[in-house]
Amino acid sequence: MRTRLRALRLNTPGWHLLSVAIAAVFGVPLLFALSLSLRQVDRTLPTTMEWLPNPIVLGNYAQALADGNLIRYGLNSLLVVTVALPVTLVVASWAGLAMARSGHAVQRRMVAFCVVALLIPHSMIWLPRFLMVKWAGLIDSPFALMLPALMGTSPLFALLFYWAFRRQPADLFDAAAMDGAGALRVWWSLALPLVGPTAMAVAALTFLYFWGDYIDPLLMIKSPARYTLPIGLSILQQFDKTRWPLVMAAAVLYALPSIGVFLAAQRYFLSGRRMLWLS
Amino acid sequence: MSGPGLDRGGGYRFQVDYLPVGTFRQFRILLFPFVVATVLLVGLPAALALGLSFTDYDALAAPSWVGLSNYTHLLEDRIFNIVLGNSVYFLALSVPLRVLGAFALALWLGGERRGAGGYRAIVYLPTVIPDAATALMWLWIVNPLYGPINLILKSLGLPQPGWLADHDSARLVFVMMACLQIGEGFVVALSGLKGIPRSYYQAAQADGAGALALFRHVTLPLALPWIALVAVRDTIFALPWTFAVSSIMTGGDPFYTTLFLPLYARIQSVDYLKFGLGAAATTLMIILAAVALGLIGLAARRGWYADET
Repeated sequence: MRTRLRALRLNTPGWHLLSVAIAAVFGVPLLFALSLSLRQVDRTLPTTMEWLPNPIVLGNYAQALADGNLIRYGLNSLLVVTVALPVTLVVASWAGLAMARSGHAVQRRMVAFCVVALLIPHSMIWLPRFLMVKWAGLIDSPFALMLPALMGTSPLFALLFYWAFRRQPADLFDAAAMDGAGALRVWWSLALPLVGPTAMAVAALTFLYFWGDYIDPLLMIKSPARYTLPIGLSILQQFDKTRWPLVMAAAVLYALPSIGVFLAAQRYFLSGRRMLWLS
Repeated sequence: MSGPGLDRGGGYRFQVDYLPVGTFRQFRILLFPFVVATVLLVGLPAALALGLSFTDYDALAAPSWVGLSNYTHLLEDRIFNIVLGNSVYFLALSVPLRVLGAFALALWLGGERRGAGGYRAIVYLPTVIPDAATALMWLWIVNPLYGPINLILKSLGLPQPGWLADHDSARLVFVMMACLQIGEGFVVALSGLKGIPRSYYQAAQADGAGALALFRHVTLPLALPWIALVAVRDTIFALPWTFAVSSIMTGGDPFYTTLFLPLYARIQSVDYLKFGLGAAATTLMIILAAVALGLIGLAARRGWYADET
């Protein structure tokens, strides 16, 4: 039995075969979209399976990038991310540091607080949040989209920083405190540089959250000039229903930054040492 | 002997006697922005959602108390019952498949083999694609006439479903999409399985356990807390996930077959200005998730006892 198990483990061609099949299931939908985005937009759509278009053209990408509206939506999305990302990092790492430097009772209570907040789904709170934003007069303002950053975007991020800071030797912080360093100075010049990988992971997850957020802009943004990319894309699809290759090119362009951020940060995601999930 | 900090927090692991007074409080200030904002942006809206569900509110006049009438109205409404049925269908199919998929893939791809990291990255990849992009890509993929899935089925001589155009298969598309976005559960499964000490396997093998017995008596019981964690998380977030994709892809069509609770709540509240009704629908969604969690808990407990006999 033991030898059979070992044989099963070392049988790499068989393992790779199934793994390639798994990868195909997860990767091929993206490749379908990519393939269509490279097809001439004015030709009739194929009625037999076409894995690669002939000829392959980049015109759809050029057209999507030349679309002033899409560029504007992209810049709006970028603005939200640019503000929300640093705010998230500051708030979440502050909370994590404060938790890690607190007594056990406070630590326990704060972890429970974070877990409860994590388990409240976004769709339970978007409706009253929408009303609160309305009462605050922030409807149609990009600030409405950045609001989650004020709470570190997700309680998980505070927890990730807390776990990271807790792994650091306590003596270090004690020494800094004895030298008379204030909380802010300890945070900036001592604590933050110690948890680079966690900060990278949180930054990547925060980017994915704000870049991909669909619900908030749908509810809170009214004027087309302030739409973010996901709203703009769904409108492009509604008006350009017959121009599938163009819609796909725009969707691929929209997904590219997320894919890039993921690939750049994947070693922090998939290390398997820490669970990372985003609500 | 003990400094003021010790009285406050109760028992530190390290010595605090010679720390300057106030060190911990100093750090505690850094906690305030997070706590205040979380209470304002999560706690308050959650309480408000529950409160609004007992009122009639159109966002113009002040809300008026109507007791449980929003709930009774919803439960008697024919369309709401269809929506409820769709939501139960989606939960019952997607959550078990997602949990199973995450753990099966983590078992298969979790090792330190050459290339395993690449496969893991591809499994995670669909999870990072923004919802709006995923929705548009799948709208094309399941297009009944030109979409690649039906063209492949056609070339194989197999029947081609109408997918989103057909009320029998429309809901299934969302289950399929949900089953390909399992990156988060997959990562939890990877770290959970990695945490099982190798010595347990070696000990079981020394006792003559085979591959199946190893899985049944070592991997499964030790992974059970992680499986439960992923199941709980998936149960809560499965329905909220449908919001973006179903608004973009179908808007609830055809014949309400892809209308799930979150989109229904939005239509009632934002489109029809019946915020009380929308809040009640949202609360019923939470209750539905809670019932599902109860069932999972019951099943897990039964499985636990069956294991011990």
